[in-house]
Amino acid sequence: MIASAFLAAIALCPCSRALALSAHGFLEGAAGVRLTDNPSQPKDATLGEGRLQVELSQEGPADSRLFFKADLIGDAVEERGDADLREFYLDLSPAQVLDIRAGRQILTWGTGDLIFINDLFPKDFVSFFIGRSLEYLKLGNDAVKFSLYPGPFSLDLVAVPQFTPSEIPKEERLSFFNPFANRIAAPGESLSTRKPAATLENTELALRLYRTFGSYEGVLYGFRGFFKEPVGIDPAERTLIFPKLSAYGASLRGPFLQGIASVEFGYYDSREDRTGTNPLIENSSLKYLLGYERELRTDFTVRAQYYLEQMLDYGAYKASLPAGAPEKKEYRHLLFLRLTRFLRYQTVELSFIGFFSPSDEDGLVNPQVSYKITDRLSVASGANVFFGKKDFTQFGQLDKDDNLYLRLRASY
Amino acid sequence: MAKKRFVWHSAVVFLFLLIGGLFARAFAGTPGGADEVMRRSVLVQFYTGNDMKTNVTMRLLSKEGGERVRELVMARRNVKAGGDQKYFILFLRPPDVRDMTFLVWKYPLRDSDRWLYIPAIKLVKRIAANDKRSSFVGSDFSYEDVSGRAVEEDNHALLREEKFEGKDVFVVKSIPKDEKSADFGYKISWVDKGSFVLWKEEYYDKRGSLSRVFTADEVKPIQGFPTTIRRTMKNVQTGHRTEVTYEEVKYNLALADSLFSERSLKNPPKAFAK
Repeated sequence: MIASAFLAAIALCPCSRALALSAHGFLEGAAGVRLTDNPSQPKDATLGEGRLQVELSQEGPADSRLFFKADLIGDAVEERGDADLREFYLDLSPAQVLDIRAGRQILTWGTGDLIFINDLFPKDFVSFFIGRSLEYLKLGNDAVKFSLYPGPFSLDLVAVPQFTPSEIPKEERLSFFNPFANRIAAPGESLSTRKPAATLENTELALRLYRTFGSYEGVLYGFRGFFKEPVGIDPAERTLIFPKLSAYGASLRGPFLQGIASVEFGYYDSREDRTGTNPLIENSSLKYLLGYERELRTDFTVRAQYYLEQMLDYGAYKASLPAGAPEKKEYRHLLFLRLTRFLRYQTVELSFIGFFSPSDEDGLVNPQVSYKITDRLSVASGANVFFGKKDFTQFGQLDKDDNLYLRLRASY
Repeated sequence: MAKKRFVWHSAVVFLFLLIGGLFARAFAGTPGGADEVMRRSVLVQFYTGNDMKTNVTMRLLSKEGGERVRELVMARRNVKAGGDQKYFILFLRPPDVRDMTFLVWKYPLRDSDRWLYIPAIKLVKRIAANDKRSSFVGSDFSYEDVSGRAVEEDNHALLREEKFEGKDVFVVKSIPKDEKSADFGYKISWVDKGSFVLWKEEYYDKRGSLSRVFTADEVKPIQGFPTTIRRTMKNVQTGHRTEVTYEEVKYNLALADSLFSERSLKNPPKAFAK
């Protein structure tokens, strides 16, 4: 709503040129179809939309800047039009060592590629799974970020007064596990979620302390807020909730064996179930990620990752688990592989992304080819193929959601 | 008597040959001479001033007449003349890379550190950089062509001295010491005798066929430094070529080290793009 008002104001304002405003964006059409029949999803299309993205940037005095990015969407799958305010923030540099960004903004940190430990900002894996472009993987936060650069290190401090959850499969397009029914949700079923109230004490805080040691980057992370996925259940209300979470972590990244290696660690403190005895709330856990990337030959890059998640107080979890409820394993292993090959002066990109979890016995394969027809016109096509044996694992619940997608984008 | 004279003559001829040979080596064939030419050429091409900033336009032209254009702002700071350097690049167009930033900390004899910032998802990505031969933004220039190849990586030999388009030049042949460190088998460089500007360079592939040709199309003095403001790299095997123009070249701006940092990647100084 705010977005369309702003757009209208800009469109009607004849003075935009005089303000030295820069305007960019794109028009994109995207379509996706199912590759397999899915009894729980009656529609054959997973994606069918036209998007107009408008990006406006206005520079102000003293290194300040106002930035606005919004999408107008016509969505054939959900049969509705929508406006999505992606980003809308003000940048200020009040002191030599301080930058402030206030407003709706996308925040990203950590060393993972599509796997996140200490980046506890909202994500939209639904967009990724149905074949939207990578920029839709992250969602904006309404937040204030202070970045301090005192010299030997830099410090980011983020305050998020209003909680934004990650997007999860919950209604149309993709299948999802219904924990109340203990099966994949039937057509028309949806899950209700309850967000934490926007109070002062619920304000989320995220912190990142960064410095380089020669070619190596060391980072410490801290977070106090809520899980971004609804990993808690309120049985009385039959609703999913976002339990309280604190997280502490560290990462190191730098050159190794002619490539780039990274290691990241995180401790998740599930503050509403510290003993692990409440089966309705996710337990505390330890998370580890190893990454390695190398250009094997000219314009051909390989990235491999190994992710390990260890549930703490596993004995208490097992003892308290109600009979018949799906039982998680103590250790979850996840392997990741990305191959990227550029051809024809980097106008053609062949990419392959694979996830495989030996412990959950599930995974995802995403091949994609994209071509830059001209500097302004590009096309991308690919497929997402999910597999899994169990209905409640991350990729297993999507087993029947295999899809093929095509995107065409004209930029201005 | 005749025998004595013959010995004398022989000795003189031998001495002449010896001295001539020594001179020839000193002025032409010695590794030192050609190395020095290439060392000074690299300094002129990649290390002029303590720092430098320029607007760069790259036109990528296919044999069929297709054109793609890259526009960027590039800053460079020497940590040590002839040694470590830092580069910061802000992309202006095409639209799919607009506002992306690129940071390189270059070390001549080991892999550079490279970071790429993707503004759409606010991601600082570390780039694996062991292959310096990768194309820079899809052009005919490799990363190495943009930031320079260490003189020590090749064996250099002075082939001849000649006139090249009216200018006196050294012609130097360079062969990589480690075959795997380059995608060329050898290269031939035409280096100006006075200014050490590189006028032309031919790259031959490992089978000995000409693969790419670099030419300096316009050189003019800026703040007293000879500066190649227009250059072309042509791939003679595919017919594809890239024409590069430098505009608003400025040297010795006293660029702060903080420009070459993560902070700039995520939030380039507003004055930088202007």
